[in-house]
Amino acid sequence: MAVNSQQPDDRHAIEKIVSSYPPEQRFTLAIMQDLQKQINYLPKESLQMTAQHVNAPVSVIFSMATFYKAFSLVPKGRVILKACDGTACHIKGSNVIIDEIYKALGIKPGGTTPDGQFSLETVNCLGACALAPVLVANDQIYPKVTPALLRDIIKEYRGQSDESDGSES
Amino acid sequence: MKITIDGNEIEANFGETILDAANRSGLEIPTLCYSEAFGGQGVCRMCMVEVKEGDRKRLVASCTYPITSEIEVQTSTPELLEIRSNIITLLYRRAPNSDYMKKLHQEYECTGVEPVDPEEKCIMCRLCIKACEKVGAYAISTIMRGTEKRVATPFDEESPVCIGCNACADICPTGAISVKKEGGRQKIWHKSFEMFRCEVCGDYFSTLPVKEHVKEQLELTVSGDNLCPNCRRNKLARDVANVSK
Repeated sequence: MAVNSQQPDDRHAIEKIVSSYPPEQRFTLAIMQDLQKQINYLPKESLQMTAQHVNAPVSVIFSMATFYKAFSLVPKGRVILKACDGTACHIKGSNVIIDEIYKALGIKPGGTTPDGQFSLETVNCLGACALAPVLVANDQIYPKVTPALLRDIIKEYRGQSDESDGSES
Repeated sequence: MKITIDGNEIEANFGETILDAANRSGLEIPTLCYSEAFGGQGVCRMCMVEVKEGDRKRLVASCTYPITSEIEVQTSTPELLEIRSNIITLLYRRAPNSDYMKKLHQEYECTGVEPVDPEEKCIMCRLCIKACEKVGAYAISTIMRGTEKRVATPFDEESPVCIGCNACADICPTGAISVKKEGGRQKIWHKSFEMFRCEVCGDYFSTLPVKEHVKEQLELTVSGDNLCPNCRRNKLARDVANVSK
C-alpha cells in the first residue's frame, strides 16, 4: 500500500494524521508513530509536513526518523515478520528461521519483498523465551517455529493476500 | 572560589566549567569537539579530567562540568592519558584519512589499528551541526545511528535551507566536508550556489544566499557589503587611520 504523496487524497490523509496533534515539538514522535502505523512508512512529504506542523527544522525530524528502528522511510510489507533473535531464540536456532525466510522470500532482516507482501525484521527479545524460537507475523505470535511450520505460516499469509488483493493484480 | 588544577591554585567563578577556568588561566586541556563559540558539547570526551571533592574522586568531562565547590582537578593522570589515547585510537580508526587525526595518532603514540573506511575523515564532533544551528539554517544533522551514524542533509539531497555559508566546512577540524569552488559557483552538501565577487579585489568569496542572509541579519549596521574579508579588513584599517589622523 505505497502512498503516493503527489496524489491529493493521500496528501490529505497524511495531513489529517499530522494535524490531529497539537503543533508542538514534543508530539513529533507520536505523529511519526501514527504515520508509520497507518501508512506503513514515513513518506518524504509526511516528514516535511510534520516539520512544518511542529515548527521544527526538517533536518531535526529526519534525524529522529532515521534514528529509531520503528520507523521506515520505504514502504513496509503488508505482513511484517518479526523474528526474535534474543538470547534464548538465538540459541534455539533463530538464525535457521531467518535463513529459511530468506530461502522462501528472498529477504534479509530489514528487507521487503518486491511485491510489497512481506517485510522481515529482527527483534531483540519478545519476552516469550519459553516459546523460543518465536516468530511474530503482524500481531500473531507463532511459538517454537520450525522450518516446516514457517513454510506453512508464509503460505497462510500469502494465501490471504491472494484472496483479498487478487482482484488488484 | 578557589580551585586547583594540577596543583596550580586559580580563581574560578561559580558555575563556570572546569575547561573555561583552565583556559582562562592558560592551562591546557586537550579537546576535540569544543569551540569557544558554542561552549562544551560533551561529545568527544577528550577533555576528561579527574575531580577530587573531599575524599571522592571521579572522572568528568571538563567542558560541561560546572564548578560549584572548591575542587582539586588533575588533568593528566596515567588513567586520563590512557583514556585520551584510547579515544584517539578509536577516532583514528574511524577517520584515518584526516591529517588532523593522523597527527594526533602519532602525537599520542597510539597503537596501530585497521581503519574502518580508509577514505573517512569525519570524527563526529558535531561542530558542523552546531555551526549550522548558530547560523540559523539547520540544514544538516546526524542521521541513522550506531556505526552507521553520519552527518548529512535530510534525504541526502540538496537542502532548501542551506545558504552555502561554509560555516560547517570552516569549523570542521578534520576537513571532512567537501566544498568545491569552480567558475564562480560553489558546491557543498549536494547543492550548487552562484557566488559573487568582492567589489575591490574582484575575487569570488561568498554565495548569493549568504549575501541576502547577512543583509537580513544586519539590517541596521553600516554596510560592509560585497567586500571579501581581506578587503574589509583593509578598509576598516584605513577608516580607523583616517579617524585618528
